[in-house]
Amino acid sequence: MTTLHMDKISKVYAGASERAVDAVTMHIEDGEIVALLGSSGCGKTTTLRMVAGLETITDGEIRVGNRLVNTLKPSQRNVAMAFETYALYPPLRVRENIAFGLLRDRVASAEIEKRVKRIAAMLEITDLLERYPPSISGGAQQRVSLARALIRNASVYLLDEPMSQLEPQLRAVLRARIKHYLIAGKMTTVCVTHDQTEAIGLADRIAVMEEGVLQQFATPIDLQERPANLFVASFIGEPPMNLFPAVVQGETVAVLNESQEVAFHVPLPPSGATSRLGDGRRVMVGVRPHKVHVGPGEAVEGSALVGEVTSNHWLGDNCHIGFRTRGCFVIAVGDRDVAAPLGSQIPVTIPSDAVNIFDAETGVAIQHGLNPAVLTAA
Amino acid sequence: MNGKSVLRAVALTVIGLFFLFPLFWVVLMSFMTNADILRIPPSPFFTPTLHNYTALVSGELVTNVGTQKVTYMLNLFNSTVLSAFSVILSLILAVPAAYAFARYKFRLGEDIAFTLLSFRFAPPLLVLLPLLLYFQSMGLYDTYFGLVWVYQLITLPLVLWIVRGYFEDVSEDIELAYRLDGHSWLSTFLRISIPLARPGIAAAALLSFIFAWNNFIFALILGSSRIQPVTVGAFAFVTASAIEFGQIAAALVFSIVPTLVLAIFTQRYLVEGLSLGAIKG
Amino acid sequence: MPFLEITGLKKSFRNHEIIRDLSLDMERGEFLVVFGPSGCGKTVLLRLIAGMLRPDAGDISIDGQSVTEVNPEYRDVGMAFQNYALYPHMTAFDNIASPLRSRHVKEAEIKARVNETARMLRIDHVLDHLPKALSQGQKQRTALARSLVGRPSVVLLDDPLRNVDAKIRYEMRFELPRVLRGFESTVIYVTQDYKEAMALGDRVAVLVDGAFRQIGSPLDVYDVPSTMRIARLFGDPPINLVPVHPVTANAGIEINVAGATVRLPPDGADFAGRECMFGIRSENVAVSLEANDGIPVTLDAITPLNNRVVMLLRGAEGTELFASCPQGGPMDRLRGQYQAWAKLDLAHAHFFDRGDGVRI
Repeated sequence: MTTLHMDKISKVYAGASERAVDAVTMHIEDGEIVALLGSSGCGKTTTLRMVAGLETITDGEIRVGNRLVNTLKPSQRNVAMAFETYALYPPLRVRENIAFGLLRDRVASAEIEKRVKRIAAMLEITDLLERYPPSISGGAQQRVSLARALIRNASVYLLDEPMSQLEPQLRAVLRARIKHYLIAGKMTTVCVTHDQTEAIGLADRIAVMEEGVLQQFATPIDLQERPANLFVASFIGEPPMNLFPAVVQGETVAVLNESQEVAFHVPLPPSGATSRLGDGRRVMVGVRPHKVHVGPGEAVEGSALVGEVTSNHWLGDNCHIGFRTRGCFVIAVGDRDVAAPLGSQIPVTIPSDAVNIFDAETGVAIQHGLNPAVLTAA
Repeated sequence: MNGKSVLRAVALTVIGLFFLFPLFWVVLMSFMTNADILRIPPSPFFTPTLHNYTALVSGELVTNVGTQKVTYMLNLFNSTVLSAFSVILSLILAVPAAYAFARYKFRLGEDIAFTLLSFRFAPPLLVLLPLLLYFQSMGLYDTYFGLVWVYQLITLPLVLWIVRGYFEDVSEDIELAYRLDGHSWLSTFLRISIPLARPGIAAAALLSFIFAWNNFIFALILGSSRIQPVTVGAFAFVTASAIEFGQIAAALVFSIVPTLVLAIFTQRYLVEGLSLGAIKG
Repeated sequence: MPFLEITGLKKSFRNHEIIRDLSLDMERGEFLVVFGPSGCGKTVLLRLIAGMLRPDAGDISIDGQSVTEVNPEYRDVGMAFQNYALYPHMTAFDNIASPLRSRHVKEAEIKARVNETARMLRIDHVLDHLPKALSQGQKQRTALARSLVGRPSVVLLDDPLRNVDAKIRYEMRFELPRVLRGFESTVIYVTQDYKEAMALGDRVAVLVDGAFRQIGSPLDVYDVPSTMRIARLFGDPPINLVPVHPVTANAGIEINVAGATVRLPPDGADFAGRECMFGIRSENVAVSLEANDGIPVTLDAITPLNNRVVMLLRGAEGTELFASCPQGGPMDRLRGQYQAWAKLDLAHAHFFDRGDGVRI
């Protein structure tokens, strides 16, 4: 129902020299689902808490809708929050916990009844409605906390690590149902997570953070195909991106193997973004495992190599193949089963349009495939 | 927010002074003559004298009415011996017992543990008279051995309960890992379980030493002046002619010293537990 | 002669049977993965093999000798724990050296072997650190080194990657087999992550409710799960399970899935009339936005998952189905609700008896 704007918000804790959150700017559309993604300590939870009003804002402005909320108390901001620590009310039953916010907003009890039933079915906690929080498992408590936040009519929904304690089998199922619920209800949502799989599954756009600084704010596809720097490139994706050190050599980039010898060359496109860096300049070459082409077949424009298969893991709906080529270890992912027995030699191609090139010192992206990297404002 | 923190600092200082003041005044008193102590109004300014300390150490109290023998040094020695041996005996008995209670769930385990703790609840006066009769008939009256044995009522439950908690916190996986490495049970107990529970053992030893040191009634009844500790010995200063406050103060200062030394020595073990961090495995 | 032989193992706690009649044979040098949901008894099983617990019944033999009555220190078993269980008051070097010190190996040889093992696991530069100064990944490798350095007959790895972050966890899938091959150890690896189980094991033993319900290759447990429960444990999103009642009609068998009639290939003759659960994995459900002869559904949500796209479908009668397809297709950029048609690849259909969950 509302937009959310964060303009250069920063947080410095009393007595600290570093900024926990450093000048983060994000503009979130009405009904958009955004994930704040990063490892622990990167500032994502602090950012969320500033939006909620649980932390003071050292610098910058936060607007919910068009209202400036910097000085408003949490209860005045009309935000719903699901806490990482669940924070359920122990003396109330699960049903009453979930309905709590609606009771406060004075919604009709028949309507409350209907909504509680619907959301309990969605999160698979119907059997637990009459129980008390201390008697149910951590994963169940987390779902109750989530239900309590999602059932409300709020301007913005803030979810802090909403699925970290769930059993693995439930995650994909609940992710899909929650996404449907959020989109159908046009709910502007900000979700904090350290799990990039969760972020990619749920969010329209993902804000990757590290050490308080926003690294990139883009759609999952953009993060995968056009990562802004090495951090984003190596954080996103399972399996993680194959990364090799390399040097610029004229119109190509020479990839170095583990013994610092040249393993293979990657031809550069005529746009020249990389070759302009000059000969001998150190770079990092990255290619996602899904883009590494295994086996013969259609002519793929790129570096053709022969690899020796060292591992072939079939995971049911795809397979992860590890192979060594000229001293480099590369992981490729293929659909279904690929016939590649251990120790066999297979032809492998690294397509030129799937190669990402980063500056070795700054980590900033120089080139994505055939196009130079564009520094996008968040 | 400055007003708040200034107010807080003032409040803390006042409270601190309130509690530390008696201690401070006792130390001052130990350097004063009786006349200075009893002067009204009391004043922190005086000429210090070592007269009180020398009287204690030399064993003679020179007063207006004559010289009196003072056996305070013997009392100090007795206190140290009694408390130290009590604590050592308790550690030898209770540390392995604490391990058993922590690791093995046996029938009536909790009941036995609680019974041992309940000894601390019972007022000593309840058992003193029968105990005196037993001691006399067994020949334990007025012996160090007898008193150390009785002191176990004070020290043993304390060591057992404190150390049991610490053993429970040591991860069983770490002990299993050491066994799988090829070490025997005893080796595991000595090289893994005890070192990791060291903060608890140190805390328990210190606490029981203090409790044993402070005991008054057992020592008063079950022994003669030969083995009496400082708690009883302090009464000697209440003479027929006067109460020698100066000597009492000096005696008190002396009595704090062994416990203080022990506390400083064990302090590093108490802090060590917090920094290792990995006690939970 | 199997190298590790477990027969009829039973263990209960307070009248609660945790391990029920469990049996297992392993060859020397084999890498077996024990996979199961939480609470299935994995930790108790490892402790029984290690010797920390005594079984109520049954026998465990290593290399032909029964070890059921033998104390842990004499069983020649190495173990790496989920929480590492490193000795916090000893350096990484001393932690790893511990199994060698107990056997009174000479100090010079200890140094050589510890350094060699540490080099293989890439922790040779932190050997003088205390555990509290090591990162999670380094702690896990130290625990691993300690379990391997004594070259024990059997190595037990209790979900060692559980508390390690996702990137390192993935790397170890490739590194662990490489390291273990260097030690020629017989390994039991316990995990709750099905992908790890399928990637690492020669064989996967699925432990559910205290006994092995299926022991087979990753292909066996994924394509031919012996029970419904096992089918649900492998695959993300989990296998779609729909209760059906097959009837013979039109010279074949037909079932009703999400309000639509689906004809089965004729060899499913022996379960007509039985109450069944029909199982089909998400990768075998093809979704199209253009009308075809598939089941009409609404496409409720599209969630990317690694290099695939998972779709939540809702059919008639509220039946929920999951479909997945590789990324890079038309489904990638959809958002919201759509009318769609789902076609099922019946070559990969599973049928289970609705009562006991066993495969038909």
